[in-house]
Amino acid sequence: MKNTFLTTWAFLVFFTLMTVFVVDIPFQYTAVPILGLAFLKCIGVAFYFMELKKANLFWKVSLVLFLLVFIAVVLMV
Amino acid sequence: METNTVDSKNIYYPPGGILMWIIIFLELITFGIALVFMAVSAREEPETFHASKMLLNSTYGAINTIFLLTSGFFMAKTVQFFKEQKISKASFFLKLTMLGGILFLALKGYEYDDKIRDGLTLSFNTFFAYYWMLTLFHLIHVVVGLIILGTIQRSMAKDHKKLKLEDLEASAAFWHMCDLIWLLLFPMVYLIF
Repeated sequence: MKNTFLTTWAFLVFFTLMTVFVVDIPFQYTAVPILGLAFLKCIGVAFYFMELKKANLFWKVSLVLFLLVFIAVVLMV
Repeated sequence: METNTVDSKNIYYPPGGILMWIIIFLELITFGIALVFMAVSAREEPETFHASKMLLNSTYGAINTIFLLTSGFFMAKTVQFFKEQKISKASFFLKLTMLGGILFLALKGYEYDDKIRDGLTLSFNTFFAYYWMLTLFHLIHVVVGLIILGTIQRSMAKDHKKLKLEDLEASAAFWHMCDLIWLLLFPMVYLIF
């Protein structure tokens, strides 16, 4: 447990730094990796810091579905 | 101190409580809809949104993300120490959690001051209307979260035996919700357009 929180935090900071670097890459679809990293960070916070991984499957699936639908709609717009 | 553990696998008892999770989903959906509207507006005015985004300092946004994530880490440690009945450590980490929130507010305040001085207010254009409304609405959540954590800190310092684990977990869930909302706001407001 002790190391899980620290590892999660390290990954979250790493993903944040990656996001900042990804923006500068001249690539037509930068929104995809940026939102992909945002998805991973939300999962990290919810599943580990909020301990959603211990919750009923309903809550896990609901959160993942919400994030996927949100990202898909933003990318389609 | 009540540290009775409930069965988190039960659909009615997610960590933080079912009511808090209903609030979390309502908040995420509300912000999500607002962000989708922002994306629709960006499609209608792509030049305005791109030029306006360039007026924002994404470094501020990234530093604030790290402040909130670090604060979230301290919050998770607070709950862990409270469960282990290490109250002085829990209290110390709760203070660090609040410090993270205060640093977020300080940097956001500095950024707002910068924007106001440059005349980039709510009425400047569509992008800045979204920028102010979304970030201010989020900022209000952080302030409310800090007030909640302040009351928890007071209870912990006063008589920790009266503080229930469920109340601490619900407060922690609210604080992490501020992280979740910001993790969606940051890329949408500062990076994508």
